[in-house]
Amino acid sequence: MRTPSHMTSSTFLGSFGLLAKNQYKIALRSMQMQQGWFVRIVIGLMMVYSAFILLTLGFFFDRFSEELWPSLDPLTVVNRYLLAMFVSMFFVRFLFQKTPKLKIIPYLHLPIRRSSLVAFFQTSSLFSIHNFYPLLFFIPFWMIYVRESPLADNQNMWLAAVVLLIGTSHFVNLLLRAVLQRKAGVFYALMIVFMVTAFIDETSGIGLQQRISEYLFTGILSGGLVEFSLLFCTFSLVTAASTIQLTRSINNPETREEVTRVTTFAVPESWGLVGQLVRLELLLMWRNRRPRHYMLVSLLFSTMYLLFMLSNAKAFSGYTMAALLGLFASGGFALNYGQLMFGWDSEHYTALVTRNIPFKALVKAKLIVLQGSCVVLFVLSLPLFIWFRPEFVPLHFAFLFYNAGITTILVMELASRNSQAVDIGKSGGFFNYEGFSAKHWLWFIPTALPPVLFMLAMHSRPGLGLIGLATFGFISIMLTDMWTKYFAKGLQARKHTMIEGFSKGAN
Amino acid sequence: MRIEFDKVEKRFGSKVALSIPAWSIESGEVLGLVGSNGAGKTTFLRLLLDLLRPNTGSIKINGRSLAVDASWRGITGSFLDRSFLIEYLTIPEYLEFVGASFGFSKKETYERLAHFESFLPISRVDSTRLLRDLSTGNAKKVGILAALFPTPELVVLDEPFANLDPPSQIRLKDILIRAAQVEHTTMIISSHDLGHVMEVCGRITLLAEGKISRDIETSPETLAELNTFFASEESASAT
Repeated sequence: MRTPSHMTSSTFLGSFGLLAKNQYKIALRSMQMQQGWFVRIVIGLMMVYSAFILLTLGFFFDRFSEELWPSLDPLTVVNRYLLAMFVSMFFVRFLFQKTPKLKIIPYLHLPIRRSSLVAFFQTSSLFSIHNFYPLLFFIPFWMIYVRESPLADNQNMWLAAVVLLIGTSHFVNLLLRAVLQRKAGVFYALMIVFMVTAFIDETSGIGLQQRISEYLFTGILSGGLVEFSLLFCTFSLVTAASTIQLTRSINNPETREEVTRVTTFAVPESWGLVGQLVRLELLLMWRNRRPRHYMLVSLLFSTMYLLFMLSNAKAFSGYTMAALLGLFASGGFALNYGQLMFGWDSEHYTALVTRNIPFKALVKAKLIVLQGSCVVLFVLSLPLFIWFRPEFVPLHFAFLFYNAGITTILVMELASRNSQAVDIGKSGGFFNYEGFSAKHWLWFIPTALPPVLFMLAMHSRPGLGLIGLATFGFISIMLTDMWTKYFAKGLQARKHTMIEGFSKGAN
Repeated sequence: MRIEFDKVEKRFGSKVALSIPAWSIESGEVLGLVGSNGAGKTTFLRLLLDLLRPNTGSIKINGRSLAVDASWRGITGSFLDRSFLIEYLTIPEYLEFVGASFGFSKKETYERLAHFESFLPISRVDSTRLLRDLSTGNAKKVGILAALFPTPELVVLDEPFANLDPPSQIRLKDILIRAAQVEHTTMIISSHDLGHVMEVCGRITLLAEGKISRDIETSPETLAELNTFFASEESASAT
């Protein structure tokens, strides 16, 4: 039966109005369903604090630039590092920004033209916090330093260029995520290429990124139409490519990740139920998009990123900041993946709790995986410490014990209190934190901060501090059986809350 | 094996989803749980598997309360929906895992599965295909098989015949009847298919609006009685 023509030819504006109203209701209800008041207040305070920092930087940038680049005027500094700033902001955007594709799906069966749907969701996606918070710095900076600059012939064009760059960054993210959704391998290749290029550009003194940035923005400031046109063309191309990509993806939907070849492995039967549960956990990581990305990104951090950080002799000169390196070098996976240790099981949690699987066995298997990840990441990153910063090798050793003993316990404590489901990959986007609640980000405070604060307190005697951390970790490892019983008891007590939360599905 | 519900009430908000003053089932009984949508069948089964906690009352298996003793899990096989599967595993991996949870070696698991070859030919399944890529019917077969092959004392199934092709329905019916007669397995089977339930179950518990409306032995007249009940319920809701 044909759809009545009056329905498919609904006006463009009519569709926009209908979709806007519907999306507003969804956003409102989603906000009401979100976190508790404590989390809301903490997140609110953090946002106000960040806004304050950006505004202060924008209004008083000369004071900061005088400290760091005394020979340069503020405008030259910003022009020179503008591209680098956008690349840094792009990482945040890539990790957190929501993409419109999943929002479109529920409307596809309705008599609304697909071109209207694409236009609406591409436009409405621009109303993202990632496109507004940079303006908290750029608008005051433009008011104080650009408008007042005697070198500037076209101040407004400079601001327009910044807005174009924000827009470009927005659509590059949508495009990249859509491409990566189909070809995940590209992500790792891009990460490696980017790291190596940035490493060479930074250490060899070429400064290519700075030269391009300065050429573009100093040129635009002087009224350079060529430079502005270059930016404008890039923006237009990226917007068009992202729109075409979105249209294609909804016309040829890929409903699920295709697994063409299943690789498997066995564990000896003598390892018993715990061995089977460890196998289950490893298969979960390997066969599901999201957990797999967490695993691979942890590997990248402990190798490529660490290479970048350790080779920079100026960075991390003190033990307090180096504690962060030690923490993430061997504990990156535990910190990132571990806090959702039971959330990853949300889709099949009932399969576990209705079978003859004691909670103790489940906890033990998960602790083995987390502790094992610390050892694997430690071994992988050890050569980098020995090669670039041998003075930090004892710190790396100390943090192996700390991470395996304490970090794993802290993340398990949080994981066993989590009742929010996680979509492990059937419909979730490419690696990012979309769908993770703000609560999970706050969890980094109790898990990552204690050893850094401890090393800060011990800054006059760092050696003793490291011995302390390693000792705490070692004692905790020896108490693994006690922790296992403790978590099993907690899981039993919270069993029904977790089942109820997990059954609601991922948001 | 004895299961007892004592003054059990489960509420969702202010709505009473299930209220059972007293109910029990003895070893070897095969019970069909029937009722309209929203009558409380799934709530009943979820309470029995300790996936929900009653607001009042207690549920005991072999005299031990579910709330304090998890030993029932070692003697129970169940399948309510796809969340009972681990969908990123292949069929053999999942069944081996279920076997391991009952303490079976791999060899013993496959020996037991061989008895169900006519229902799901485990020797011929694609061992590289994940459960999440299976059709609803095939996924259901795997779930039912996982509940049955360890020959537990208690089997709990929700709508086992739905989504199965007719030959599989007939085979499943035979398997359930055999389990009851040979193994004396206690079974609780929720279903909308009154015909199949009549053939398999010796006792019918009819739920209506969260309460037990009938609890009867299956007899030649039962089907007519149930049809009359549902017809009157249908006409009451229409008016």
